Amino acid sequence: MRKYLFLMLMLVLSLSLGAASAQEPVTIDWWHISTETSQAAYWQQLADAYMAANPNVTINITVLENAAFKQRLTTVMQAGDPPDLFQSWGGAVLWTYADNGLVRNIAPELEGEWKDSFAAQAALELFGQNGEYYGVPVSWGAVGMFYNKSLFEKAGVEIPTTWDEFLGVVQTLKDAGITPIALGEGEKWPGHFWWVYLATRLGGQEAFLKAYDRSGSFTDEPFVKAGEYLKQLVDMEPFNAGFLGMTHPESEGVFGNGEAAMMLMGQWAPDAQAQYSADGQGIGDDLGWFPFPAVEGGLGHPDDVFGGGDGFAVGANAPDEAVDFLKFLTNEENQRGSAFFLVPVVKGLDDVFADDPVMQSILTARDSAPYFQMYYDQFLPPAVGSAVNDAVETIFAGVASPEEAAQAIEEAAAMELSQ
Amino acid sequence: MSISRFRVLSTPYEQAQTDRRRRQWDKALFVALFTLPGMSLFFLFVLIPIMQSAYFSLYDWNGFGPPTKFIEFDNYTRLLNHSIFQTALVNSFTLMILSLTIQLPLALSLALLVGRGKLHGKKFFRTVLFVPYVFSEVITAIIWRYVLSPNEGALLNALLGAVIPNFQPVGWLADRHTVIYVLFAVLTWKYFGFHMILYMAGLQGIPADLEDAARVDGGTEWQVLRFITLPLLGSTIRLTVFLSVLGSFQQFVLAWVLTNEGGPVNASQLIATYLYKFGITQLKLGYGSAVAVVFFAITLVFSLGYQRMIMRRDYAAN
Amino acid sequence: MLSQQRQPVQNVFKYGFLIALCLVIMGPVVTAVLGSIRTNGEFMTTPFGLPRQGIQWQNYGDILGSRSFWNSLFNSIIITAGVTGLNIALGSMLAFVFSRISFRGRGLLFNILMIGLLFPLVVAILPIFIQVRQLNLINSMFGVILPLVAFGLPGSVIILRNFFISIPGELEDASYIDGCSTFGFFRHILMPMARPALLAVATLQVIASWNEYFLPLLVFTDPALWPLPLGIMQFQGQYGTDYARIMAYVTLLIIPAVVFYLFAEKYIVTGLTGGELKG
Repeated sequence: MRKYLFLMLMLVLSLSLGAASAQEPVTIDWWHISTETSQAAYWQQLADAYMAANPNVTINITVLENAAFKQRLTTVMQAGDPPDLFQSWGGAVLWTYADNGLVRNIAPELEGEWKDSFAAQAALELFGQNGEYYGVPVSWGAVGMFYNKSLFEKAGVEIPTTWDEFLGVVQTLKDAGITPIALGEGEKWPGHFWWVYLATRLGGQEAFLKAYDRSGSFTDEPFVKAGEYLKQLVDMEPFNAGFLGMTHPESEGVFGNGEAAMMLMGQWAPDAQAQYSADGQGIGDDLGWFPFPAVEGGLGHPDDVFGGGDGFAVGANAPDEAVDFLKFLTNEENQRGSAFFLVPVVKGLDDVFADDPVMQSILTARDSAPYFQMYYDQFLPPAVGSAVNDAVETIFAGVASPEEAAQAIEEAAAMELSQ
Repeated sequence: MSISRFRVLSTPYEQAQTDRRRRQWDKALFVALFTLPGMSLFFLFVLIPIMQSAYFSLYDWNGFGPPTKFIEFDNYTRLLNHSIFQTALVNSFTLMILSLTIQLPLALSLALLVGRGKLHGKKFFRTVLFVPYVFSEVITAIIWRYVLSPNEGALLNALLGAVIPNFQPVGWLADRHTVIYVLFAVLTWKYFGFHMILYMAGLQGIPADLEDAARVDGGTEWQVLRFITLPLLGSTIRLTVFLSVLGSFQQFVLAWVLTNEGGPVNASQLIATYLYKFGITQLKLGYGSAVAVVFFAITLVFSLGYQRMIMRRDYAAN
Repeated sequence: MLSQQRQPVQNVFKYGFLIALCLVIMGPVVTAVLGSIRTNGEFMTTPFGLPRQGIQWQNYGDILGSRSFWNSLFNSIIITAGVTGLNIALGSMLAFVFSRISFRGRGLLFNILMIGLLFPLVVAILPIFIQVRQLNLINSMFGVILPLVAFGLPGSVIILRNFFISIPGELEDASYIDGCSTFGFFRHILMPMARPALLAVATLQVIASWNEYFLPLLVFTDPALWPLPLGIMQFQGQYGTDYARIMAYVTLLIIPAVVFYLFAEKYIVTGLTGGELKG
């Protein structure tokens, strides 16, 4: 690795006009959203290491909370002033930046060994379009069903593999006086996981891509059916009391206190369940994970995975050093070090979760998925993403039919997505 | 001064003319010096942005680069036909009416209670009642989210659970039919203290002997209030009504954080939260600007009408 | 007073009502204070309750021990002082001109200024940001202070103008006969007399600028410039939020605001009286 870096450096040196220009002081503005102390410290540590090795580079880090980051990034982007390196989830938002010349194409640097080093190729594709790339993922996970083994045992149920079995499990749990599912729909995005997973199982990659490129639509059968399947579940009243107004952390607490048997959530859930449980421990070894059940007759592959993660994009005016630093962030050694809060995306790290079966199964599901469906509310333009969340919420609240929900999404999509 | 000394030969009339012109000039300079700093800041950061909003509102613009796609009044047509915008309008008006009929009378009666007369712990009550006003809106919303949580261990549910047998915990922010009233309750908690202070200030301007005289003449407390105190408080009441109406329309941060962007299912969307959600976070700045213009038009019409018809008396003195 | 002695029942009712209301008001405050000395898990499981796992003083220790907290406190003080000072200076000058000097266009100018009352900052946030950027005020304290002053001016001018109008014209005439200039009257006679109104305006401005969240977020890309309300962000994450520390932070933010209010309370009430004297 280091030898390769040296060769690259020689190449850069020989290509540039002289050694002097490479030594000119360079500043990299880096915005990330890892506000938690140990995580922020880890990024700082990597920045310090890079600056020590490259004395001409100064890296200014701005740590922002998620919502604040989005507000701020949107405003500076609209003012045409992107930071050099910034948190990105890929997808349509990033592509909009690209269409407006606000991000830098790093394909020349990426092609070759760097690109091949990624295990999560599907994730990498979300950071590019038409052969261009504007950033890379640093962490990528999968949404799946967390469950409480001892509650399952108490009710005498097994892991369901199909939607019908799953509904059976829900009923049995309910009959046993156990809240089947924890959900914090007050924030909307947790509910959209259910609908999108169903749509992915029912229609697969094809239905989504068709709706996205407008050769199909969000009122196509799989999307309406997803609402119908979801309504079946909602009608059974399987969720914790007051779930429509509950925040996501509260619902993690409900699960972490052992008060609900299942939770459809992403890779961060085990930490959150522990943090928000009464004793700070979560349900410990009772925690298990299984993939979202298959849907009979669905066109999607049962191993298709829905989820997303985090990455960094490169601003339009970023210096070459920013790209080099991004490469440094995603080398094997630094990815390994970040595994305490990220799910690594590069090859050769299959062993990082060796003593954590839950995380290991998430990693396996991600890497063996035939199709990776990204979060709709990240992948689609903001207006459509937010319409999805709003529409799915109406199904959970029982105020709109599955057709109406699909129609509401389609209206936003028809306006925002170009043919 | 030196100039006027050379003008010894000028007639008294000419002399007076020059002096007046000088005074006029001095006054103009004075007015300019005193108004320019404040007014220029105001133009820069308030008026120009408003005018820019009007311009942007005629474009389909996502905010990247200059606006180029001119679409005339399409944004306005879409806006007025959008059912969620209608919800937002209704909600803002609901808040306004509730503020006028519940929040202001509450503030007034509290001002009468703690603002004058003999009351033990007057200062203590005043302070406690005004405390919420000094909290930031973000903080208020964060705290209240957890007071109103559907969790049975949250303050409101726990309290009701202790009082009512077999009480089932309620998701106070989860019911789209009642969420606007819950929002109003929190807004009242936060803002009634401000109106109370305004009333207290108004009450201080009412001479106590006037009321005492009425009492000596055999007036009941209610009659004194009805025929002496309230009429004398007229200008304050008219002012608080004005501020309260504008305040209801301008609600943003508290509602945004408390109801999680106007939820559930957009049931608690207000004009300003609608603007932010459907204009700014969805990258439709032309559309958002159209909302801003409509917003501005509503408040402008209201305040012009109100000042012409109701507050004219208070301004007439000037 | 007479009626109070005659009606003990009414008194019981009066105190009962006030005490009940105080409890309603303090409930959420107590939730925050209790939350600040409990663990995250306790807070999530039962948002209202006593600390059962020992008092978590480290929630405060971590905040008070961090340099960023003191740095933010300093920034908050600069912003608050800057906004309040400028607002009072410019606001009283405008109020003086609008109340005591007649000139052509005065009514128009005053009405234009009153437009500012109709518009909250958030509604025009993007044009404001563009403006701040064009003036090269990104990452400058002035980028936050000046727009806040501009948006606060209309309210301050109304209060001060009402107060200035209530001061009798004879006083002004007398001061001119004594050889005072217009500025001298403003500076040495009117301003000292208007102290209660000025303090009322100052209090409202302190509260508003101390709590401002939105504008600093957009204007300051450099975290070293952040005021306290932005500091809450460091405890919120994409996948989880440290509520116990947020509550501790909230409690720390509440304290100075309450202390300040206790200090300024009597001035607010007397200061707002001014223009209402005429009835």
